[in-house]
Amino acid sequence: MPSALQSYESTRKSWLIAGTVIAVLTLLPFVLNQLGRTGEYWLWVATEMVIMSLFSLSLNLILGFGGMVSFGHAAFFGVGAYTVALLMKKAGVGFLPAMVAAPLASALVAGIIGWFCVRRVGLYFSILTLAFGQLLFMITLQLYAFTGGDDGIHGIPRPELLTPLSYYLLCLALVAGSFWLMRLLTKSPFGLTIRMTRENPERAKFLGINVKRYQLINFIIAGGFAGLAGGLFAELNRFAQTEYLHWSKSAEPIFASLVGGMYSLIGPAIGSTVLIFLKIIIQQIHQGLVEIWAIILGVILLGMVLFAPEGIVGVYEKIRTQRRRPQ
Amino acid sequence: MNLQFMLFILINGLSQGMVLFIIASGLSLVFGVLRVINFAHGSLYMIGAFMAFSLSSLFAGKTLFAFLMLMLLVPPGVAILGLGLEVSLFRRIYRKEHLLQLLLTYSLVLILDGLTRLIWGGQIRNVPRPEVLAGSLDLFGLYFPSYNLFLLIVGPLLAAGLWVLLYRSRAGNYIRAAVTYPEMLGALGVNVPRVMTWTFMLGCFLAGLGGVFMSALANIDLSIGMERIIECFAVVVIGGLGSVGGAMLGSLIIGVGVAFIQIYFSRMALVFPYVIMALVLIIRPWGLFGKPER
Repeated sequence: MPSALQSYESTRKSWLIAGTVIAVLTLLPFVLNQLGRTGEYWLWVATEMVIMSLFSLSLNLILGFGGMVSFGHAAFFGVGAYTVALLMKKAGVGFLPAMVAAPLASALVAGIIGWFCVRRVGLYFSILTLAFGQLLFMITLQLYAFTGGDDGIHGIPRPELLTPLSYYLLCLALVAGSFWLMRLLTKSPFGLTIRMTRENPERAKFLGINVKRYQLINFIIAGGFAGLAGGLFAELNRFAQTEYLHWSKSAEPIFASLVGGMYSLIGPAIGSTVLIFLKIIIQQIHQGLVEIWAIILGVILLGMVLFAPEGIVGVYEKIRTQRRRPQ
Repeated sequence: MNLQFMLFILINGLSQGMVLFIIASGLSLVFGVLRVINFAHGSLYMIGAFMAFSLSSLFAGKTLFAFLMLMLLVPPGVAILGLGLEVSLFRRIYRKEHLLQLLLTYSLVLILDGLTRLIWGGQIRNVPRPEVLAGSLDLFGLYFPSYNLFLLIVGPLLAAGLWVLLYRSRAGNYIRAAVTYPEMLGALGVNVPRVMTWTFMLGCFLAGLGGVFMSALANIDLSIGMERIIECFAVVVIGGLGSVGGAMLGSLIIGVGVAFIQIYFSRMALVFPYVIMALVLIIRPWGLFGKPER
């Protein structure tokens, strides 16, 4: 379980680490820009890593902090992506308003879906999220005239101001900002209440807390951040497709949270980055291995569930606290 | 909308429902006893279907003998696979929190689906029906496809067999006792882990059997695993986890519902199981035959 108390020394260390990481991430694109073609590719990868970190972080609000497994989170990611795609390509809306609309649209959808889902707990909640997620996926697939169905929406305009480098920095800024907001949220009374509903919902109810309402609000916030990630992703690749809403996309942040550590805030971001990195490495090693990526991912996940459910961050914390103990 | 057409749709829906029942009853049984929702159940069903495909080419498909061989060999094969899974993996997670159980079976879906793709490739396959069952029967001036009729007979037979197993045999008593009060059962000297293993194998057996029947009913490809597991969830949600009668009712509702909706609103047909599932979960989450959660 997460260590709620930290000594002053390690808090200062955390700030130092955070600052260093931000600095490195900010300088990264400038370095990559010098490397020509490969640099371009890796800049795109880095942007994708940043955006997907946000997606995984958003799910972990529900999963790690809320203790609820949601299999339909990609629905909100997809809603955000299609909002940006539709607004920018078909309605000629500008980049900024579209990026604001994306999280709002997905938050709205999350509100509707969430209202139904939080009525049940545990397994039934999870099945409901899966059902609604697939429902949304199929609706998007069927509305050919509106969403382009299977083909998706291609050719989303990219405003001139946004070069790959500046887009990366924009994403970094937005994701870092979102992370900071999430941090505030989880440390706030709201965040602590959510954690209580995970640990002991019965007790929370006896204390007069409307558990369903808190869970719904948490769900909506998570959906909103996922929508932002989706919107940024659509703009990055300049297209949106139905796969963004598929259950297999919902699996990615779940894995990322598990691998990185779902009981910490930064865990999912680490997990997401590690998994993307692994996927690319495997692609480079042997093209054929890409086909068994699903199997590899499944095996990694299996191993983590059995041996290290606290994820990378959890293992790191364990090592750190063990080293501190006097002989 | 003539009668023949309606009848055809109805028979089709009912037989799809029967196959679904076979699979879903396995899932329901496994959850009742092991308390683990096995996401990979759909993958096991899919593996059964593809195994049937491979074996059918071995036995040069069209004869009744070949089909009987499929029915006899594939389900135990899947059950043995299930044995391996239970002993190596499922056993370790019985005491873990639900979140981790869900994630474990979820990862199994990835692995099994990936292996299926690796071994059998992405093409659509099917198994030829045995000649005896390939045509249709002419009754009262209407045509009934023979294979579908066959399923309509086999389904209830299987349900009856399951009922006899669960309610009239010693093994069934153990299984039902393991659902209700495993600790007491252990105290009475029964090897409860072994009961759980056998139950899991039975569930996998049923999944495999469903796969065999489906392979001759319709085309199979790599998506049928996930499709079926979602429908299975809908079935056990409607019928209530652990109830064979409920699984039958739920399966028939889903089977017939999808078949009819496909005619009138073809695009919405795939959505039907999800809608029903969501509705039931919201209104009466323990299903029509189940009991409110402990």
